[in-house]
Amino acid sequence: MDEKLKKALDFSNLKKTLTARREHIREKLESRLIYGHAGGIFNIDHTLITFVQMLIDQGRKTQVPVIDSNKNPILIPDLEKFRDEIFDRYFQALGEYFTEYEKIKSSRTVEKLVEYE
Amino acid sequence: MNNGVLLFVYNNRDIDYARSAIIAGFLANTNLQVPVSIITDESTIQWMKQSDIYQHAEKLFDKIIYTERSTRLNYRNLRNGGLEKKPVLFLNDNRCKAWELTPYDRTLLIDSDFLIYSDRLSEFWNVDSSVLISSAMKDIRGDRCGYHDRYISDTGPDLRWATTVMFSKDQESKVFFELVESIKDNYQYFSDLYSFLPGQYRNDISFSIAHHMMSGHSSSLDYFLPPILTVQDLDSIQDIDKDFVRVYINDPITGQDNFLCNLKNTDVHIMNKNALIDNFDKFERFL
Repeated sequence: MDEKLKKALDFSNLKKTLTARREHIREKLESRLIYGHAGGIFNIDHTLITFVQMLIDQGRKTQVPVIDSNKNPILIPDLEKFRDEIFDRYFQALGEYFTEYEKIKSSRTVEKLVEYE
Repeated sequence: MNNGVLLFVYNNRDIDYARSAIIAGFLANTNLQVPVSIITDESTIQWMKQSDIYQHAEKLFDKIIYTERSTRLNYRNLRNGGLEKKPVLFLNDNRCKAWELTPYDRTLLIDSDFLIYSDRLSEFWNVDSSVLISSAMKDIRGDRCGYHDRYISDTGPDLRWATTVMFSKDQESKVFFELVESIKDNYQYFSDLYSFLPGQYRNDISFSIAHHMMSGHSSSLDYFLPPILTVQDLDSIQDIDKDFVRVYINDPITGQDNFLCNLKNTDVHIMNKNALIDNFDKFERFL
């Protein structure tokens, strides 16, 4: 095979692997941000975190109904505990996502991308 | 509440589901931290004993529940990496018995080729819904999800994936599973009604129709389990361990190795069952 073509195909393979890897870590992030609480399911995101913190700042701390990801009202018995949990999960998941993303960014071979050792 | 995972395991001449179930059971037990039971038959247990894996099953599974093997011959075309298809026997029509056979109050019913590498399904144990099913299938390559992976037919409801089903043992789920059984028993009628091919019995279709009917013949507003990330049967496994699986993703036209993908701490459905079974020895040291 022509050397130039081989290089192009290798690069294309690297890009495909890179895209799949990025898609996978995004998927992992999304799954890490699913939180089951008080019979509901919450997707932890900026909106939820900000809204919960605002409720706490306004003095609403116990027995507070919050809309979950399925648009159902869920009664949260202790909102501060809930906030701490979503905060922890969010930053832990984001930390892992950042680390993996940086690793992908610096990988220049398929072997590194798929952690093939 | 007594939570647990349940698998149906019936071996046949083509696929050693017992080995696959031991791998899936081990991963579910490790990552969800709940007991795992299997529903099987005498001949599968005999096979486990003959092939020297029964001791793993005995140690790993909370309960081994015996049933009669289905007599309904159901075949499906299965690839083993690449494009070549082979019809293989598929004994899958007694899943509707899960409700009466499960030893748990809240059960996660999974396929024996669904590998649980994360704890994300744990979030659903306490969700206020009697029956939860996976909303969709998600192809690992992103572009190989066909029409029949999304819909039952042109006139039928959306296809849900019975690869993962979570249910509480209550009256609502009892009705649901009775409905699934009734759809199975009248499969020809429902295939006429919704215009799908009745040749091969699919649990996904029965469960989808039952779910649709239980939602008042409309799109459900209920909770769903996450979409099933799927490695298709034309793909193959490059390596696997207790916390990752690395797969060759193949091109759907040429069937050739296309690129590698490493999946870590992510639940995944491996449709190439033989590729999974061939890697059984990699798990033996953990069992």
